Amino acid sequence: MKQKQSLIVLGILGVALLALYFLPLIVFAKHILILTLFYAFLGTGWNLMCGYAGRLSLGHAAFVAVGAYTSILLFKEFSLTPWLGMLVGGVLAVVVMLLIAWPSFRFGLKGPYFTLASIAVAEIVHNLLVYGRDITGGSLGLSLPYVPTSLAQFQFDGKGEYYLVILVFWLAAMFLTIKMERTRYYLEAIREDEDAASALGISVNRNLIISACISAFLVAIGGTFYAQYFRYIDPYSIAGFSLSLNMALVVVIGGSGTIFGPTIGAFLLIPMTELLRMSLGAQLPGLHLFLYGILLVACVIYLPKGIASLPGIIKAKREKKALQIQQTSEGVQ
Amino acid sequence: MLLQIIASGLLLGGIYALLSVGLNLIFGVIKIVNLAHGDFLMMGMYATFFLFTLKDVNPYVSVLIVFPAFVLIGVVVFRVIIKPLLGKAETEVNTIIATAGVGFVLQNLALMLWKSDFRAIETNLTGKSYEFFGVLLSAGRTWTFVICIIVALLLYYILMKTKVGTHIRAVSQDTDAATLMGINVNRIYTLTFAAGIALVGIAGSIITPTFYVYPTVGLYFNTMAFIIVVLGGLGSFTGALIGGLLIGLVESFAGVMASAELAQVFSLLIFLIILFVKPEGIMGKGARV
Amino acid sequence: MAETILVIDGISKSFGGLQATDNVSFDVNKGEILGIIGPNGAGKSTLFNLITGFYPIDSGSITYHGKRIDKLTPDKICHKGITRTFQVAKPFPGLTIADNILVACLPKAAKVSEARDQVDAILKIVKLDKKANSLGADLTTLERKRLELGKALATNPEVLLLDEVMTGLKPKEMDEMMDLIRELKKTKTIVIVEHVMRVIMNISDRIIVLDHGQKIAEGLPKEIAENEVVIKAYLGRGSNKDA
Repeated sequence: MKQKQSLIVLGILGVALLALYFLPLIVFAKHILILTLFYAFLGTGWNLMCGYAGRLSLGHAAFVAVGAYTSILLFKEFSLTPWLGMLVGGVLAVVVMLLIAWPSFRFGLKGPYFTLASIAVAEIVHNLLVYGRDITGGSLGLSLPYVPTSLAQFQFDGKGEYYLVILVFWLAAMFLTIKMERTRYYLEAIREDEDAASALGISVNRNLIISACISAFLVAIGGTFYAQYFRYIDPYSIAGFSLSLNMALVVVIGGSGTIFGPTIGAFLLIPMTELLRMSLGAQLPGLHLFLYGILLVACVIYLPKGIASLPGIIKAKREKKALQIQQTSEGVQ
Repeated sequence: MLLQIIASGLLLGGIYALLSVGLNLIFGVIKIVNLAHGDFLMMGMYATFFLFTLKDVNPYVSVLIVFPAFVLIGVVVFRVIIKPLLGKAETEVNTIIATAGVGFVLQNLALMLWKSDFRAIETNLTGKSYEFFGVLLSAGRTWTFVICIIVALLLYYILMKTKVGTHIRAVSQDTDAATLMGINVNRIYTLTFAAGIALVGIAGSIITPTFYVYPTVGLYFNTMAFIIVVLGGLGSFTGALIGGLLIGLVESFAGVMASAELAQVFSLLIFLIILFVKPEGIMGKGARV
Repeated sequence: MAETILVIDGISKSFGGLQATDNVSFDVNKGEILGIIGPNGAGKSTLFNLITGFYPIDSGSITYHGKRIDKLTPDKICHKGITRTFQVAKPFPGLTIADNILVACLPKAAKVSEARDQVDAILKIVKLDKKANSLGADLTTLERKRLELGKALATNPEVLLLDEVMTGLKPKEMDEMMDLIRELKKTKTIVIVEHVMRVIMNISDRIIVLDHGQKIAEGLPKEIAENEVVIKAYLGRGSNKDA
């Protein structure tokens, strides 16, 4: 998709989503929307590094956690407004990412090894959070001190404002993704064939590291949002494998390495999960995740490249058919 | 005291080794990451738990039931889920996601059927210890260790001395060459996957006497299994064994010197360093993709 | 007036116990077509890998327009003006043909839109314009080679290193390719590695012969054809001189 087209689509989506703000929806519906955009945001960040560069990270929750814990702790200890705490968290996440990404890419870690390393990193962060219980509250987590609606302190009594905030975040992430057209192409080339990319003048390491850092920064910001919205974080929810996996799933199902894929995936998976949890969760704990798991496996088998890949597949099929028709009519078969 | 730590570490290591050997087979031969590995362990544990509490079957004997059952399960899972994904677009990513999905399904199946309570069984060995040159060895773990060694030796024999074993090793080294030699790679894949699942299933059986059983018990073991497989060297059988024992020792020492979480962090850091510097592990070859 | 732009001076490279390149020296002059031939295993592809920075050299130096390039990474060398093709073509399988070319145009284009404008022209040169939306994975071997060449051309190099572009082509296709190369000579300097004698003898201005990693002969095509050392190196292997 060309940039202009993408920006127009984004604009339309943005307006449509903004319109939802004005609708009188029930609280649960608002919650689902917020959660959906939250994952769309996280997924877009994840996608920048993992989708385009083709390296499956299942440990990105580590950076979400860095963002969340940093902003909450700075708020609790120094009364620093979470907006600034968010930025600090983002920078810290980038530092952590650099510590891992630099050796990973330098040593050419790819494929399942990269994934395992990413899982290990998240586990390390998780364990450190539990171990540092004096600061981080350990397994019990941290609560956000309540403040009545205040923009400066990034807390709101109603859900509407949170929705607007996450909408803005999501728009920003999408805009950034669309604008980074050149880097996206470079990353795709790197994903497809590093040597060929290098021979054509693309710096492999530099592009990977840049995308990794941006990705870490974005999801860390998501971490702060999580902290401010749920008002409570603990190592299992925010540095756990589930969060990492969900981030990845949303993108893979929607279409990895595409602009709108993560958002499509989020809008498909999150409302469904939440509705399943609502209707079935009470009767039989675990049923909704059980069904979710089955659906996941089915999706991955029947749509290996995600939903967003459909247009491309159709286009290529059409072109092939046109060629065949042309060849038969020319008698060359 | 030192001897005690070493002994405990080795016993633990034996368990880890058995756990990893199955994963090593799957990861090394089919080259996919099976994130559900620990969850199959969990299923094995539940199977053993119920066989014991409902039918009075000795956990170590239940291996004879669990093994064939899990071979069957492994074949089914492979045919239905893994095989359609191999060789297509995004195989690596999709197999990881698919196995994660399977793990989800298994965990929540257990949760739905048996709730999240921690279960434990008491056998005639519970609480007993053997004394061995002044060192106390937990009875349950000792027997587990012994059986692990037996299974490992059996496996070693099969891999090294039988035709099937040679085929498996061939496929793990070069699938194209293996095909050219007339080996039915698909059949080997199915066999290997089923074997891997069955192995971890009986690992679950064997450790049930000494571990709590609950739906998410697989997660911890999963991480350890992967660490061991990579540490020992992908595709290397002996590597998985040595890796298991090593990690068992590391945990034993670290558990004494620091807290449990730091022990894990330590193992994980070692894991990362190995991945960076020598992903082939101690014994393996050809791991940098 | 021969202007030397690329100087290879005494480079060597060994892999473990194997000496792949052994004290090789030669110059490349602006606007010429330099052919490199040699029996299998002579070290021809290794040479390209060394020049373009895929392997570091053990000793010696590589100088381009007076500046050393032997410690640079491949992408930097491409930016300086030297591009190579790969013997086994490396298309980007998951990208469309058009995007394959686009990616190649990008590093040297100031804006993405500029790069996009260049794609069609290149597709036409390598005759892949009708398959612009096919995936890199869906090409025939011949089409892959064309794409490989197209990507190399897209980087607008001053020096083009062609690694066995003729392999697998039918005689008529070979002639087309030779015409294309002669056309390219007008704006570029070309170093071409080949097995097909008829091609090398026909289009090269000068030829270098490698054997066992060493340069064993250098000169005009006619001289090489009559050079005893060269004949022995080839006949000694029992390899066929004509394609």
